[in-house]
This record gives sequence, structure tokens and C-alpha cells, in this order.
Amino acid sequence: MNLKWKRLAALLAVMTLVAAACGRDDSSSSSDDSGSSDTTDSGGDEASGAFIDPSIDCADYEGTAGIDGDTIKIGTIRPADGPYAIYDQVTTGLDAWVTSVNSEGGIKAGDGNTYKVELIKENDSYDPGKTPALAQKLVEQDGVFAIVGTIGTENNLAIRDYLNDACVPNIALATGSTNWGDADQYPWYISGLPSYALEANYWADYIADTKPEAKIALLYQDDDFGTAYQKALTKAVERSNNDNGTTLEIVGEQGYNPLSGTTTEAAVTSLSQTGADVFIVGIGGTPCPQTLTFIPESWAPETYISVTCAGNTAMSLAGGKDVGVIQAQATLDPADPADADQEAVKEFKTKGAAAGLDEGQLDGGITSVGWGFGSFFGMLVENTDKVERADIMNTAFSLDQPAFGLVRPDIEIKTDGAADPWAIEGFRIAQRNADGGWDELGPVKNRNGESNELAG
Amino acid sequence: MRSTTPNWLRWGGGALIAVVLIALPFQFEAFRVNQFITWMCIAVAAAGLNLLTGYNGQISVGHGALYGLGAYAAAILVTRTTVPMLLTIVIAAVICFVAGVAIGLPALRIKGLYLALVTLAVAVLFPALVEQFSSLTGGGRGLALVVPQEGCPRGRPECPVRWESPFGGLENDQWRYFLALAITVVAFVLVANLVKSRVGRSLVAIRDNDIAAESSGINVSRTKIITFGVSAAIAGVGGGMLALLNGNPRVNPTSFTLLVSIYLLVAVVVGGASTVIGPAIGALVYGVFTDVIGPELPGRFENATPVILGVLLIIQMLVAPNGIVGQFKEIQAKMASRRSGGAPEVHNGATPVERDTP
Repeated sequence: MNLKWKRLAALLAVMTLVAAACGRDDSSSSSDDSGSSDTTDSGGDEASGAFIDPSIDCADYEGTAGIDGDTIKIGTIRPADGPYAIYDQVTTGLDAWVTSVNSEGGIKAGDGNTYKVELIKENDSYDPGKTPALAQKLVEQDGVFAIVGTIGTENNLAIRDYLNDACVPNIALATGSTNWGDADQYPWYISGLPSYALEANYWADYIADTKPEAKIALLYQDDDFGTAYQKALTKAVERSNNDNGTTLEIVGEQGYNPLSGTTTEAAVTSLSQTGADVFIVGIGGTPCPQTLTFIPESWAPETYISVTCAGNTAMSLAGGKDVGVIQAQATLDPADPADADQEAVKEFKTKGAAAGLDEGQLDGGITSVGWGFGSFFGMLVENTDKVERADIMNTAFSLDQPAFGLVRPDIEIKTDGAADPWAIEGFRIAQRNADGGWDELGPVKNRNGESNELAG
Repeated sequence: MRSTTPNWLRWGGGALIAVVLIALPFQFEAFRVNQFITWMCIAVAAAGLNLLTGYNGQISVGHGALYGLGAYAAAILVTRTTVPMLLTIVIAAVICFVAGVAIGLPALRIKGLYLALVTLAVAVLFPALVEQFSSLTGGGRGLALVVPQEGCPRGRPECPVRWESPFGGLENDQWRYFLALAITVVAFVLVANLVKSRVGRSLVAIRDNDIAAESSGINVSRTKIITFGVSAAIAGVGGGMLALLNGNPRVNPTSFTLLVSIYLLVAVVVGGASTVIGPAIGALVYGVFTDVIGPELPGRFENATPVILGVLLIIQMLVAPNGIVGQFKEIQAKMASRRSGGAPEVHNGATPVERDTP
């Protein structure tokens, strides 16, 4: 009898809980009609003229959190273990940049002060399920001023609402997902890479110029990153055929699921049967160079690879099949003999070595990306009159200046609020040569403000 | 039904634990409270697994998938329907019950290692299934629990679900904590009652000797299948809690990989299989290790957290094969027998049979 009562009590408790939950207000679902969020209004039309006005946008704005005297604390989240641990080297580069800046005394900010930088690194093993707790830890326990160079599209997506609601800047995301074009609704995010959609358009334009009748085989990673290529490329091919009279055709498409635990071999074999003369490898991580090794002897397409598998470290995994591949490049490659005389490369090698990077890291092409993210943050602090969270973002969204860090020198850095939220919008087309460098096929072209409309 | 634990210790200890559990969210920052909530989710899922593996002796390496199914079911219901949020957890439990029964069917014919392999396949399959039905689940991008509501930042029509406490004064994370705590307590009370009941005794009887159980009138097939279902339903409740309450209004397939299934099993074994409170202790140990100690290790060792956990597990298996709770009971029994001067006598009211994990 006693037991029965206990059970009844438990059941009652459950029902009470359910009733308590009914408190959620569902009547607001009618507010849908204000929807159509895709319109890119110019964000700079608020009274103050600034893109972000924290008094309107933020509930509890703490503009100078994370600044303690002359030290700015920043945080980053990256995979330090697991299959994507190769990206840990990006953070190694960011860390080296911090070491280097501090050894020179700090960043001379627009407010006249010189700030040292403290970097706190967290490891999410590339699991977006783990990223939110780490972002919360960085903001609430460590009290960072901003998040810099966090890796992974899904990972950054997982913390987007949190960081935007808390009004914490997320600067130089290590991803070029088209999601980051939505600065109107998420103004605390700015990508440190060019948009993947823009990159796909540079491929398409170069193909249209050189092979107007190309038959294209596309291998893409079946996630947000890879489908950005797929959508943008499909759109670019259509536009080129309509406007320029080309007869480009995507003759085969294969998605590759990185979670499947398989390789791309079957997909490559299948694509090799399509009669394509252009092969686009829209995948990242180690599967990208690995894909090149699967191209059969009988198939000799012109191969394009994603910007995410650039550099010596990735190319050395292609078993010698990297020679001849084509890439859209936005940054200098420290291992490229042709870029060796560039001031930015020399500076990176000298300062990077002083900050403890070894030769493999300096030349690998991954550490330099993280160094670039650091430079991005440093550049924003230098250009901001008042070092506050909102001011940093307003600087990020009103840039007009020459290239910084390891961005190719001819690329213009321009942003303009939600109308143009992408900092890096230029590429050159280059082909891998046998010396571990790149031959330029087409010079840098700038397409400022176009990234968003080119997304599929 | 006498326990070896003296009464004053039971009540005193219970009161102390209750005070600590209630005080916790007021003592820690929101991100820590969110971690506590996640540990509770793991504890509930492990309690479900314990029912199946600990009490009934059917090993499942696939409960991470059922945990994930519960999470996705709740998340999809919240985003696509207007079902009240906590009710989605109940529906998720029902869905998981059905799935559990389906997975349990082969268990009628196969046992032990072979059953483990079947459930292993389920665990491996789950993330791939999520990818496959990406229009419903969001695929690798994950599924954000965003709903149309008022007051979203920058005029967005939709934003993540929020838990506002109906009783003023509680922060959002504290309210979620108490909701999770309430569900967890209910789940453990249900399991405790279940294992004390006739059904519970038949579970153990089947585990120890299914032929003997059958000949004493227990319907072995039905009991096994229902156990699988109930176990899955409880794991689903844990998953639903994870999706809705842990402060990360988003579910990702990477949160429900094979590794999670193994961690659930670890929580059961470390805490003490076939003890009611064991899975909670196991989840606590696991949580403290991965969320509190792991990140504090020097950078060089941080990546080795799983290895360290593995080594500790091996040591524990050698020193205390019955888990933390099992070991505690053993020590108590020894002390009691020393006090009475009699032969060691393992008395156990809560669990009819105490033995090594299968």
C-alpha cells in the first residue's frame, strides 16, 4: 500500500512539472510576419551612426569586461585532440602572435594605451556539443573581452546566440561559412576568412574564362561548409552560362560525410566515370589531400582544392599528387619561394621564430592562419579609439585599409556594417608547382561587398 | 528489510545531500550550473541503463543512441509543435520506449557479448541516421531550439527557448537546475521503487538464472522486452533534459556518438551496477573528472584525459569491482560484522542480490 502511494506521489510530481512548463507563452508565434530576415538593410542607419549601439542592443552591456589595467584577456576554442586536431596548429599560431606582441610591449591601441594580451585556450575536440559550455566558461569565469579565432562552422554556430545576446565580440572566426554574412542580426561576429561562396565564384570565373565548355565534377563535404561551395558553384555556373554564353556543366556531384568514418575513394571513383575535365574538391581537413591520392591514373582533370587545405602541411599528405592543383588564394604562403621576399612573410618568419615556432610550423601554412587571426584582432584594437566591446565591432564593420597580417598585399580590406560584413573579399588564382610553391594564373581581384549576394 | 546503514546516518546524510543539492546553483556561476545539469542528464540516462545492465544483466552499448533519440525527439517537438516544453520530455520517453522495445527484440535470442554487439551497431548508426534525415534533424549543423517569440535581440523573429522562473528571484540557470533536479529525483525514486517491487525481483532473477526464473513463473521474454523499453524511456528522459535544460538550446549529432554510450556504461560500473544510487555517483565522478579536473590539468596532459580516465577505470575494477557504492556497502558490512563479532554477513535491503557486475 505504502509503495502505491509513493508511486502516486511521483506521478503527481511529474504532472506538476508538466503543468509548470505550460507557462511558456506560445501566443507570440504570430509575430512571424515580421520575418523575411534575409533582406540586408544597411546597418549603419542608427542615430549614432555606429553599427552597434549597446544601449539598444544589449541587456547587460559590460563594454570593458576582460580589460584589466593594461591587459586584454581573449579566449579561443579549438580541437586539441581527435580527427581535426590538425587545426590545433591554427591556435599555435594565434598563441605565437600573442607571445610576439607581448614581447614587443603590447598593442598600441587607438586610446593611446598599450595593451598586453592574455590568451585562454579551450579544447572542444571539434564537438559543437561541447563548445557552448566552454564559451560560457570563457565569458563568465575567465571574463574574456572577446573570443578570437575559434575553429569550426558548427562550433561557432553553436555559440552564436549566446555570444550575441551577451554582447561579446567573436572576432576572426576560423570559418568562411555564409552564415557570417548575417551581421544585421548577429553583429558580434566577424569572419577571419573569406566567404566560401566567394571562393567558389573565383573558381567558376576562372573556369569560365579558360574552359568555357568545362564539364565539372564536384565533391563536397556534406555539411554547412561543403554545401556553401555546392550552392554557390551551382549559382555561379548558371549565371555564367546566362550572362557570358558559356556552356559550363556540372556533370557529377558527390557529397562526402566526414562523420561516416569512410574515405572519399568511392565518391572519387564514381566522379571519374562522369567524363568531367574539371574536378572540384570542396572538402577540408586531411580528407582533402587524401582525395587527391584517390584520383585514378585514367582520369586527368584540372583539379581545384578548397582554401582550407592549402599550405605545405596539407599538401605533403597528397602523396605527390598535389602538383598542378589550382586554388583561389587570399593569403601569402610562407613556404612559397615566390612569396619569400614579401615583407609580411619575412616579418612572420622572424617574429614567429622568436615566439618559438619551429620551421615546420612556420612553413606549414596552418600556423600562419592563426597568426593572421591574431593580427586581425590587433589591427582592430589599434584602430579603435575607445577599447570597448561595441567599439571594437564598430571598427570591424567600418574598415577601409590595405591588407594586414598575411593577407595578400593587393587585397583591400573593406567592410560596411550589414551591407558588407566580410573583411577579406579578394583572391588570386594559383597553381601548385613542383617546388612546393604556387604559380600565379590570375592576379588578385577585389570584389568588395559581393560575398553575401553570391551565396547560393 | 533491514539495512546495515544506521538510521541516524541515513537521515543525516540524506538531509546533508539535499541541502548541498539545493545550495549548489546559488554558489556557482551559470556555466558551472549548466554542467551540473548535464551531469544530472547523464545520471538519469545511466539510471536507465543500470536497470537493463545492472539489474537485468543485458549489456547495452547503445544507450547513447537512445539518449540522443530522446534529445532529438524533444528538440524536434519543441521547434515544430506547440507542445509545452516539459511535456516533450514525456513524449520523448514514450518514443524511446518504443525504440527500446524494437532494439530489445533481438535480445530474446541473443545474450551477453552478442547483444552488446547488436547495441553497438545502434550506437554507431545513430549519428549517421541524424545526418541521413537532415531535413528533420538539421544534420551535422545541429538543431537549434529556436522558436518564434517576442523580445528577441535585434528584431529577430525567433530566438532560443528561454526558461523564465515563474517564481521571481531565480536566475534562468537556477530555475533550469531545479527543474532538472526535480526530474532526476523523480526518475531515481521510480527506479528505486521499481527494483524493490515484484518486477524488480524478477529482473534480478532473470539475470541470475533465466531458466530458474522461467520455472518459477516469470514470463522471461515479456520482462526482458519491457525492461529494455523502460530502460530506453528513462535514457530518453535524460536526453530530453539535455536538449531542453542544459543551457545549450541546440542538439548536435556529435553529442551522441559511440563514446557517449561507453561513458554511460562507465558511469554505471564506476558508481556501482545494480545499486540505485550508483549511476548518479558514477555520473558525478565522470562529470567532475571531465569538466572540472580535466581542463585544469597542465596543457600537456589535457589531451590525455580519456587515457587517464581509462587507467583509473582499470585500477578501480581491480580494487573495487562493485563500484563506489558497492564498495561502500561492503566496507559497511564488514564493520557491522566486526562490531557484532559474528561472521561477515552482507545484508542488503535495497537490492535483493549483490554480486559482481555481469
